[in-house]
Amino acid sequence: MTDLLIVLTMGLPWVGALVVWRLGDDKPDLQHRLAFVFALAAGIAALALIPLHTSDVELSIDAGSVFGKFTFVPDSLGVFLAAIATVIGSLAVLFSSDYMQGEKQLGRYYTSMLLFIGAMVGLALTGSILLLFIFWEITALCSYALISFYNDDPKAVAGGIKALIITQFGGIGMLAGALICFAYLGDYQIATFIEKADTLPSDMLTVMAFGFLAAAAAKSAQFPFHTWLPGAMEAPTPVSALIHAATMVNAGVYLLARFYPAFAGVDYWTDAVMVVGLVSALMAASMAVVAKDLKRVLAYSTISQLGYMVYAVGVGSIFASQFHLLSHAIFKALLFLSAGAVIHGVGTRDMFKMGGLGQAMPFNRNVFMIGALALAGVPVLNGFWSKEIILEHGLHDGPAWAYYGMLAGAGITALYTARMVWLVFFGRAHYETEHAHDAGPMMKVATGILAVGTLTSWLVIGLFGEMLEKSLPHHHIHVEAASDMLEAVITAPETLVALGVVLIGAVVWVIHRAFLPVGEFLAPLGAAADQDYGLNWVNRQIVQITQSLGERLRATQTGYLNWNVFGIVVGVIVTLGVLAWGA
Amino acid sequence: MSDVEILLVGGFMLAGVGLYGLLVIRNLIKVVVAMQIMVKGVLLALAAAAETSGQINLGQSMILTVIVADTVVAVIGLALAVQVRRVKGTLDVRELSELRG
Repeated sequence: MTDLLIVLTMGLPWVGALVVWRLGDDKPDLQHRLAFVFALAAGIAALALIPLHTSDVELSIDAGSVFGKFTFVPDSLGVFLAAIATVIGSLAVLFSSDYMQGEKQLGRYYTSMLLFIGAMVGLALTGSILLLFIFWEITALCSYALISFYNDDPKAVAGGIKALIITQFGGIGMLAGALICFAYLGDYQIATFIEKADTLPSDMLTVMAFGFLAAAAAKSAQFPFHTWLPGAMEAPTPVSALIHAATMVNAGVYLLARFYPAFAGVDYWTDAVMVVGLVSALMAASMAVVAKDLKRVLAYSTISQLGYMVYAVGVGSIFASQFHLLSHAIFKALLFLSAGAVIHGVGTRDMFKMGGLGQAMPFNRNVFMIGALALAGVPVLNGFWSKEIILEHGLHDGPAWAYYGMLAGAGITALYTARMVWLVFFGRAHYETEHAHDAGPMMKVATGILAVGTLTSWLVIGLFGEMLEKSLPHHHIHVEAASDMLEAVITAPETLVALGVVLIGAVVWVIHRAFLPVGEFLAPLGAAADQDYGLNWVNRQIVQITQSLGERLRATQTGYLNWNVFGIVVGVIVTLGVLAWGA
Repeated sequence: MSDVEILLVGGFMLAGVGLYGLLVIRNLIKVVVAMQIMVKGVLLALAAAAETSGQINLGQSMILTVIVADTVVAVIGLALAVQVRRVKGTLDVRELSELRG
C-alpha cells in the first residue's frame, strides 16, 4: 500500500508531464485541465501518505553493485515535503490555468512544471544519497527551464543560466559527499550513513558536512549563493510561487535537517550553518526594504525567511525549522500567487507604478494582506507561531548575538512588508492601465485555499511534532504537546519582545517621513543594499575571469593533428605517473 | 636474448616508430601508415605478454581481434583521406586545422 502510494505520488506528475507534452499545443484547454488533474491526484496521494509515515524502507529497487539500492523511505520529514510540493504544486498549476491563458507553448510549461513536482517528491522520499543527488539536479534543470520560459527575453535566459550555474556549483559539494560516503561505507543509504557517520575519518566527514552546506546554501539561495534568486523572478509568477518560494528552495533546508544528526558533531559546522542563516536573513531583509520590483521584494523575503530556517537548524531545532518551512511554504505561495494576480491585472512589476489597487481588486487585497501579516509574524497566523518558536529556540539553545540579529530581522521583515502592502494596495493610484481587474476565478480558488491554510495550518503543530518525533530516530526530537507549546509561545516574554520589534518595524514605515534625516544617514547602506552588497559584482568578476582564462587557453587548441597526438601522449604519461605514484 | 625479450624490444621499437610518425608526419595517408605500425608494435608486446603469462590461447584470440579491428580502422582512415583530398584538395594535416579554438 505504502509503496504504491510512493510510486503514485512520484509517478503521476511524470506521467502527466508526458501526456501534456504529447497532447500538443493546439488544445490549450485540455492541457490546463489535464495538468491540474495529474498534479491534484499526486497531491491526494501525498496526503494519503502522511498517516503512513515510517522510518522503514518501503520501496527498494536494486540498481546493481555500483549504484546500490534505490530506496524510498517515507519518514515524516520527507512525507511533509512531498505533500507541500504536490499540494502547493497543484494549486500553482490551477492558478496557471488563468495566469497562462493564451500563452504559447503550454506543453513545455506544464511538462517542466509536472516534471519538477515529481522530482521534488523523489528528492523528499528517497533514502539513497545518490538518488537524492539525481533528483536534486533534475529539480535544478526544471527550474532553469521554467525561469527561461520566455526564451526570447534575454533577461529571462540570463536569469535561468545563472540559477543553473550557481546551483550546479553547490551540487558538486553534494556529489563529493555522496562519493565519500560510498568510498568509506560502500553504501549510499542515508540511514546507514547517519548511523555510521562517526566511523568516517573526521577530515572526510568535515569535507562532506561543508560540501552539503554549500549545496544547501546554493539551493536555498543563502548567502553567499543567493544572487540567483532575484534573477529567477523573470519566470512566470506561478513558477516563482511553486519553485522559488514553496518547494525547490526548501530542498536546501531539508538537506540540512535530514543530515543534521550526522554533521552536528563536526567542528564549527553548526556555527557555520547559524551564521549563514543569520547573514542571509538580515542581508536579504535589508535588500527587500529598498527593492522596487514587487516580485523582487518577495524573492528577498524568501531568502530572509529561509535564513530563519537555516538558523533554526544551526541551533539544533529541526522541529522549529521544519515547522517554519511548512508555514512559509503556504504563506509565501499565497503572497506570490496574489502578487501574480496583481501583476497580471496591472501589467507591471514596479511597485511605484501600482498604488491604490485595493479598490480595484478587493479579494486579492484581502488574501495578500493575510499572507503579508503571516510573513510579518502577526498573531494568530501560521508565520507568527513558527517564527516565535524559532526565536524561542534560538534564545535558549543559541548564542545571544545571533538571537538579537534574528530579532532585528523580524523587525525589518515587518518594515518591508508594511511598505510593500502600502505601495501596492493603498495610497495614491499610480497605475496607468484602465482595466486593472481582480483575479480570475481559478486564481481566486487557488489563493483562497492558501489563505485558509495560512490562517489555520498552525493547528497541526501537535500532530507535526508527534510525527517528527516518531519517525526520525536519529534526530532525537522531543516535542511537547501542542497546547503546551502554544501556551509557551503565548506566555513567553520573548514573544512580547518580538511582537514589539515587529510593531516598531511596521510603525517605522507608517511614520517614515519623520525619519528622513535618519534615512539620509542610511542612504549609503540603502544604495549598497540596492546593489546587492557587491555580490553581483563578485559574480560578474568570476564569470569574467573564467572567460578570459578560457580565451587564453584557446591558444592550446591549434587544430593540428600532430599537436593533439602530443597531447594524448602527455596525458597517457601523466596518468601512468599518477598510477605509479599512487601505487 | 630470450624470445620474449626479442618480442618486447621489437614491439617497443615498432610502437616508437609509429608514435614518432604520428607526432611529425603531415601527410594524412602516412599518418594512417604510422598508426598501423604502432598497432603492430603493440601486438608484438601482446604476444610477449601472452607468452609470459602462459595464456597463449587468450593472447592469440585477442591479437586476432585487434588485427581485425585495426584493419577496419585503416580502411576507414584511408577512405576518409580520399574524401578529404577530394573535398579539401589537400592531404597536409597542417592545412586541415578547422578545429582550431
